[in-house]
Formats: sequence, C-alpha cells, structure tokens
Amino acid sequence: MSGKSLRRKLLASFLLLSSVLLAVSQLHPAASAALAKEESGDINLSAAKAFFDTHSACFVDARSEYSYYKSHIKGALSLSDSRFDEQFPDFRQKKTIETLIVVYCIGPSCDKARNVAEKLKKNGYKNVRVFSGGLVEWSHAGFPMEG
Amino acid sequence: MKLFRIGFPSASITALRLLLGAIFILSGGEKLLDLKYFALVIAEYQILPSLLIPAVALLVSLCELLCGTMLLLDLFSRISSSIMLCMMAIFITAMTNNLIRGLEHDCGCFEFLAQWYGLKEEIGIGPIVRDILFFILLLPVALLGNNRIPWKKHPG
Repeated sequence: MSGKSLRRKLLASFLLLSSVLLAVSQLHPAASAALAKEESGDINLSAAKAFFDTHSACFVDARSEYSYYKSHIKGALSLSDSRFDEQFPDFRQKKTIETLIVVYCIGPSCDKARNVAEKLKKNGYKNVRVFSGGLVEWSHAGFPMEG
Repeated sequence: MKLFRIGFPSASITALRLLLGAIFILSGGEKLLDLKYFALVIAEYQILPSLLIPAVALLVSLCELLCGTMLLLDLFSRISSSIMLCMMAIFITAMTNNLIRGLEHDCGCFEFLAQWYGLKEEIGIGPIVRDILFFILLLPVALLGNNRIPWKKHPG
C-alpha cells in the first residue's frame, strides 16, 4: 500500500468517524432526556392504568388539597406539595415505606408531582414513580375519577 | 361630614348598599354551601393553624352572608360595612403576603365566577385590586350609612 493511498484511507476513516460522532451528539439530548425520565421513575398512561387495574400501587395527588377535593383519580390520596409537612404524618400511618407509590399532578408541565416524589424518597419511600401525564391525560382517556 | 354628605347623595349610599349587600350574600352563601372547600382554600394560605381553619371558614362565610343581608335590608348598615371593611383589609393583606411569598393558589373569593364564567380565581393583582375597590366602595356606607332599625319609630 502506497503512502498516498494510506493517507486517503486515514482521511476517509476520519471523516466517517466524525460524521458518526456528530450524529450521536445530535441524538444525545433526546437520549439523555429518555434516560433521565427512566431514572426519575416516570411512567406513562398505560403503565399507570396497569398499576390502577391491578391495585398494585397507591396513587398520590400532589396538587393542593382543594383541587384534590374537587376531582382526583379514583382511590388516590392527597399529599400536596404545598402542605406536605402537615399531611405526611397521616400518610405515613396509612402507607408503609415498601408501598409502590404513583405520584401525579395536573400534567407534564407541573413540577409538584416530582417535588412530592423527591420528598417521599427523602422520607424513606423507595418505590416511587411519577405519572407525568397527570390528571389531564387520565381524564382525557376517560379513566375512573372521583371527587 | 355634612359637606361630604352633600357631595354624596343618599341615593348613592343606597345603591352602594344594595350592590355590596347582594355581592356579599352571593359570596358568603356559596362559601357556606361548600364550607369544606373554602376551609381547604384557607389552609392553602398557610397563615392559620390547622385547628382554627374550620372555625374561621364558618365565621368568614357567616359574616359575609349576615353583613350582606343587613346591608341589603339597611339594618345596622354602618356596623355591617365596618365589619366588611375589616374583612377586606384582612383579605388584601393575606393575598399580598402570599404573593410576596410566591405561593400560587385559589383566592377563595368568588368561586361562582369560576363556575359561571370559567374565570380563574387565583391570588394575584386582579383580586387584590377588586378587594381594594370594595374597600373604597364600603367607606361611604361605613361613614354615612345609618344604624337605625327601619321598623322602629324614630323621633323627628
């Protein structure tokens, strides 16, 4: 192999590697978001419905108590982000730390569910998931509500 | 006071009394109909201890309803409007305090506006300005209204 042909192959390999790296780097934000979602324990509507149908999780409403009073997912408990400290002792008596908990608020733009999930984890609850679609997605799907 | 009264005819006092009376009856009545909801809104203000909240919810609702009725019937109008003035001052202070603290929640003022017109009744500049307006409108009734009982004969 001549020196010229080797240089050409090296250049071609470099260009190929660069384009692959570029493509990977452009995919990176979506990939990292998906990874973050997975790590934070987010679940989608179908997973939330599966937990609901099998009664394998306790649903927790992170919105204010008056919003919970008006409407909430059937059987959900209220544990609002704003009055967590006042409500938590009562919640602690009802649910053990092994309980699988699904926290939700109004929808994906609402941070309250994630905040409550964090607070629950800090208080020893390890099995906490966030249903980021929230009440909007749940009610649009026509799933059971009460209040 | 007499000069103020000349500039403020009794017909205007009557109109204000009737308008404010009707508004407070509506507001107090709807709160009494769903006292639990109103108590939960008060809890969200995070000002009162939990133990006092149900009693305060009942007291505020009853005050609004009774003062509104008395304003409408022109019974002890000055006392009723003075009580409502104090309540407006408390509402304005509570909402301003929570706005400064960065809290976002329903104001618990006129829930029927949300039900009838789909207006969101969250704490903010709008409800504060409205309560300031009520405060200003209550002032003439508190200063120039009367405290007499209509069915009692008054000398002169």
